[in-house]
Amino acid sequence: MTFINSQIQTEDLPRVEDVILKPISKAYLKIIALNKLLIYTVLIGLVFLGKYLIENKEAHLPISIWYVLVAVVLFCVLNFLVSFLAFQKRKYALRTHDVIYAKGLLVHNKVTVPISRIQHVEESRSWLARYFGLATLKIYTAGESGSDLSISGLPHLEATQIKEVISAKINGDN
Amino acid sequence: MEITDFSHPIRQSSKGIIVIFAFKTISFFKKFFVLFIAFGLSIVKNQTLGGVTPFRLLLGLITVLIVILVIAILKYLNFKFHLSDDDFHLATGVINKDNTIIPKSKIQNVYIKQNFLQQVINVVSLKIETAGDKKSEIEINALDKATALDLKSKLFAKNNVVNAVESPTQAVVKDRDVFFKVTPIRLLLEGISQNHFKSFLLITTFVFGLYTELEDYLKALNIEERIEDYVNFDEETIFNLILTNAILILGAVLFSLLFSVVKTFIINFNLEVVEHQKTVEINKGLFDKVSLSLTPSRIQNLVISTNRLKQALGLHSMAVKQAMVNVKQQKNFNIVALEKEQLHYLINKLLSGYFEDEGEKRKPRPYYMRIATLEMLLFFTVLNGLGFAFLGIDALWVNLIFIPLAVLYVLTSYRKAYYRISENFITIGSGVIDTTTQILEIHKIQSVKLKQSIFQRPRKVVSLVISTASQSVTIPYISKSEALSINNYLLYKVESQDRDWM
Repeated sequence: MTFINSQIQTEDLPRVEDVILKPISKAYLKIIALNKLLIYTVLIGLVFLGKYLIENKEAHLPISIWYVLVAVVLFCVLNFLVSFLAFQKRKYALRTHDVIYAKGLLVHNKVTVPISRIQHVEESRSWLARYFGLATLKIYTAGESGSDLSISGLPHLEATQIKEVISAKINGDN
Repeated sequence: MEITDFSHPIRQSSKGIIVIFAFKTISFFKKFFVLFIAFGLSIVKNQTLGGVTPFRLLLGLITVLIVILVIAILKYLNFKFHLSDDDFHLATGVINKDNTIIPKSKIQNVYIKQNFLQQVINVVSLKIETAGDKKSEIEINALDKATALDLKSKLFAKNNVVNAVESPTQAVVKDRDVFFKVTPIRLLLEGISQNHFKSFLLITTFVFGLYTELEDYLKALNIEERIEDYVNFDEETIFNLILTNAILILGAVLFSLLFSVVKTFIINFNLEVVEHQKTVEINKGLFDKVSLSLTPSRIQNLVISTNRLKQALGLHSMAVKQAMVNVKQQKNFNIVALEKEQLHYLINKLLSGYFEDEGEKRKPRPYYMRIATLEMLLFFTVLNGLGFAFLGIDALWVNLIFIPLAVLYVLTSYRKAYYRISENFITIGSGVIDTTTQILEIHKIQSVKLKQSIFQRPRKVVSLVISTASQSVTIPYISKSEALSINNYLLYKVESQDRDWM
């Protein structure tokens, strides 16, 4: 049987494109924003530090410090915009036989991992995530590091439930 | 042959002291290599350094060697192993005692290796690999060959009864069917017909780096003369310059050729593929002799490569990617200089039921060429920019050669790109100078990924990344509907049939 033959079947096969993916928790945007803010503060702080150091030496500035500052602020705004839009692309779904996770704005990836190939599942919660009641679900396969999934920003309860479901299925197989 | 009793704790062959000593000494000198150079140089220059004379230095060196020897002896005395019914036991450690127990059923691979020193004193080392993390492997440095083979078969002996699927090296001695043995001539051809571009680049950067280092030095010596030379830039000097460069490049090409040939010889000397009932064994190496066995159930990907020249000479190489094998060992699973029939036979042995022409041959979308063209355009810009900056407007003549080559590159890479999906296998072809074919079994897939950049979205072009336990392969730039149907088909295949990936 060739691929052509089976393609007739493929129309009846469960379709990944028909699965309605669930967006991750809105609260996770706050964590992203906080992390980004920290980075931006450091960046802008560096500009001022540079200004301070150069002025102390009384050297002549080739360009005004304000241009640099505007460039940095522009970069920060753009960066935040991109990560905000990318946030909306983070979606996941759990099917009977596999886990689907999609993310990425500039390069959009949609990974599907069959549950029968999962080696173990891990739930990790950072300090911030605990505060917002979120969790990160890490799914490990035997494959290259590229085929491991790490789904951030799940509501804690849901992460635990998914973990239980997957664990039960893996153990049921053995 | 004296039969060794493995049931009681035994030490390795006493020659092990030499091997451990040599390893320790080499690693010691490697660690302090830079220090030695600096120290040695200043002593040669000044005859003394802070009261350290060459004699005292020698004395110190001897002391260090004696200390290492004592450590080696202690290590040897405290290294004991034995076999029980189901487990392999190993006790090591001089001060901190370690006791390792490996259940036989968890052993993934047993290698027999022999480096140059071990060849001289006629011992082999035996390496046991488990499925755990990368560090959990055991090496016994010095055993005589008969004992090693005996131990190897005993390690797998119980395994066969308990777990019939995993049975590498069944009857090592009984049916030893040497299926393929490389001749020196074919090895030579293999070395010559290699893609020299890589070794050429390596050597060029090395030479260039050396040259710039020396150039500074030379400049410092006779800077005045040089400036005068630059001023009197007549026809003759330009000609000489071109001639010198041409000779330099020719030399580099010859050198890289030699480099490839020697490298091929050292790694693949006496390459031998031995067929057992279920497994295939590879033996090879000049200084480091290795003996490896391949188990079909553990193989994840096959990568077959050849090029125009090699194809004409009937040379094909095959790399076997196995799961649970560390990275350093992975590159040893290469078989070079195979004839076409031998290659097909071997593929069939390792992947039963594989037919080359099964499944429709499909190609990526022409979008592929657009990406390749963009890559070349980037290269073009960098090349021209650098040329213009350093050599002036005349450097742009290089485009006369570059542009046809770039066009050829784009067209060839697209021509060679294809993929086939059959009932049980995926085949992906690619390459420009080389022709590479990747084969994997569908039931060994670990995950499937659809990848699409923001520019590809309006064109409905998607790449499909398929991961197995040892490698990820990409079907590049196919139409979205096709990618989705392949994605669904592969997932259906993996999830509906209850087959293990290993």
